[in-house]
Amino acid sequence: MKPACWLLVAAFISTAVRADISTTNSPSTNGISQSLEPASTGKQTNLYPRAFDLPEMPYTAPADRKKLPPALTRATPTSVAELQSIQKHVEALVARVSPTVVAVEIGNGSGSGVIITPDGYVLTAGHVCGAPNRNVVFTFPDGKTARGKTLGVNSVDDIGLMKIDGKGPWTNAAMGEVEDAHIGDWVLALGHPGGFDATRSLVVRLGRLIRVSTDMLQSDCPISPGDSGGPLFDMYGRVIGIHSFISTSMTANFHVAVTPCYDGWAQLVAGLTGTAPRAYAGLVEVSDGGCRIAAVDTNGPAFTAGLKIGDIVLKVDGRDLLAAASFRHWEAESKPGETLRLEIKRGDKVLSMDLALASPPRRRR
Amino acid sequence: MILSRHAVFGSAPFSRFATGALLALAFTLGLELAHAQTDPFASTLPRNRFLNGTDTLRAFAPVTEATRHSVVRLSVDEALAALGTVMDTNGLVLTKASELKKGKLTCWLTDKEVPAELIGTDDEEDLALVRVHAQGLVPVQWAEEDVAVGQWAITPGTSDTPTAVGIISALPRRIRPRRALIGVQFDIRAPTPKIDQLLPGLGAEKAGLKPGDIISGVNGSSVTNRDQITEILRDFREGQTVKIHIQRAENAFDADITMMPPPEQTSGLSSLRQRSLNRVTGEVSQRAEGFEKVIEHDSVLQPWLCGGPLVNLEGKAIGLNIARAGRVTTYALPAELVEKAFERLKVTPVSTDTRK
Repeated sequence: MKPACWLLVAAFISTAVRADISTTNSPSTNGISQSLEPASTGKQTNLYPRAFDLPEMPYTAPADRKKLPPALTRATPTSVAELQSIQKHVEALVARVSPTVVAVEIGNGSGSGVIITPDGYVLTAGHVCGAPNRNVVFTFPDGKTARGKTLGVNSVDDIGLMKIDGKGPWTNAAMGEVEDAHIGDWVLALGHPGGFDATRSLVVRLGRLIRVSTDMLQSDCPISPGDSGGPLFDMYGRVIGIHSFISTSMTANFHVAVTPCYDGWAQLVAGLTGTAPRAYAGLVEVSDGGCRIAAVDTNGPAFTAGLKIGDIVLKVDGRDLLAAASFRHWEAESKPGETLRLEIKRGDKVLSMDLALASPPRRRR
Repeated sequence: MILSRHAVFGSAPFSRFATGALLALAFTLGLELAHAQTDPFASTLPRNRFLNGTDTLRAFAPVTEATRHSVVRLSVDEALAALGTVMDTNGLVLTKASELKKGKLTCWLTDKEVPAELIGTDDEEDLALVRVHAQGLVPVQWAEEDVAVGQWAITPGTSDTPTAVGIISALPRRIRPRRALIGVQFDIRAPTPKIDQLLPGLGAEKAGLKPGDIISGVNGSSVTNRDQITEILRDFREGQTVKIHIQRAENAFDADITMMPPPEQTSGLSSLRQRSLNRVTGEVSQRAEGFEKVIEHDSVLQPWLCGGPLVNLEGKAIGLNIARAGRVTTYALPAELVEKAFERLKVTPVSTDTRK
């Protein structure tokens, strides 16, 4: 997948959302939204589902393994030269992502968070937020502070959202997808363990992903209890996890995958509690030559619809789909019971099928 | 207040925000493992590929090969007590002083055990100078350039791969001493630092201070308010003595007061929660506070593996591991501090063995 395609995807998503806002606010005066509505389908509810006052979702940056130093994609580094190339990459990455990591103080407690949009949405752990609408003091790595509020809290997945007062722009981190994360990937844990310390500022740790599941990542990046809410970055500099909890073993460090942030974006922004009301398709999609199906839940709707592993989803409801991320957006913004019309590529054939979304199965935890 | 800061923040995620359910989850690894077995997508990275796994450590072998003769293992009564950093060709070694308890001191090189003796200790940075009776030791070479966050931080041992590896987590900074008190409570309504109460058993009481006394000087500098006193006293460790100037009615006099740790905290964390926190932290060094400057790195190093050099990829020492301060935190004294302390210790070694 070439980065150029990704930029197109991002552009598509943001235009769609902006169009949504304008349709609700001033439908008659805005030409852009009119021109974006394909007249043929007439299924407006599916095209612009519940995104009406939704701020732009965080930007999902591409993951191109070929752009990483080879030492980072090997089983283990094998020479001092390879260790040097890892060091060079990590040092540069730390400098790049550090400004996006904030210390937060809420009530008597403190934790960390990461700025994920230029307008100041900050992702953290659910237990750091506690509840919506609490006062937050953010401290940036340079010691400057800002005020804000907690928004939505998803305590089941342990994801929470906060907003810095004002418009920004703030330096934000790119988001990643857990679908691009593999065991053995090198990761960086950042945060302010023990709260903001002016003489120390951020603390950076390096490790590898030990286990990856759709909603949880385990790494050997040593994190401590006060680290909660801090980001786990992959080697592309994208947030893929949020520090959640630890166990006695030094390699038992658990980070919530960012998936529930995408799934529950509308809800988190609206300051609601609870899990994301996510429609469930029952498949695992990866960005590999487009949005490719990597796994199908045999008890899920995708299996019933006839989707198979290896299928590439070309279109959803007439819209081109170039990456797994955009399918996630569809899934996140649809309700159980809604039907998506998919156009898929299987081998040389192009098929179309209807996918009736279901309620998500009870989350494993 | 460093200690209580850590306690408050450390407990925050578990106590202030979450219910007992999360606490239970946090410390129940078994639950997670059971979950993994039912997860169709789960597989686990083999241990040898972990950051401190055998395969990864092997990549560092050339670095360790260059430094293993500059590291020694110091034992007290046959038990490993600390690593040591070789400072010169005559067998002078620096190590972490507070890890050397009373007993027979010996030293393991790469291949043999030799006698060793304590020459002196430096309380400022918790360093001990030890003479090792052996030939062929190679002094560490100190790195010239500054450290960068994200840079490899390698702790070599005497074997052919490192004891532990990590990265530099934060830039060098000062670590204040653990909180110690003279043991007075001020009258907060008084404009001057007037003593309201004395904490029983602490230094001020022992020195004969009384309620109503006004503190007008600390170690020669005059003070007019409570904050000034607190600020000055923060830099003194337990066991150190401060000279307090007292106004009592028409009289003025000096009192030498020994700083002591605060009485056992009864408030704050419950013992159960404290035990849980200790369990996830692991064992930390007895002395992990009160250093003029440290480099923080994320290597997991047991307290008895401190005292040796911390080196970069070129095999040059960037510091001397001085303390394991927490689950994620190991401190190393930067090269310039170590060299300064070494010069001090060479000139004025203490004659008696001060080990406890």
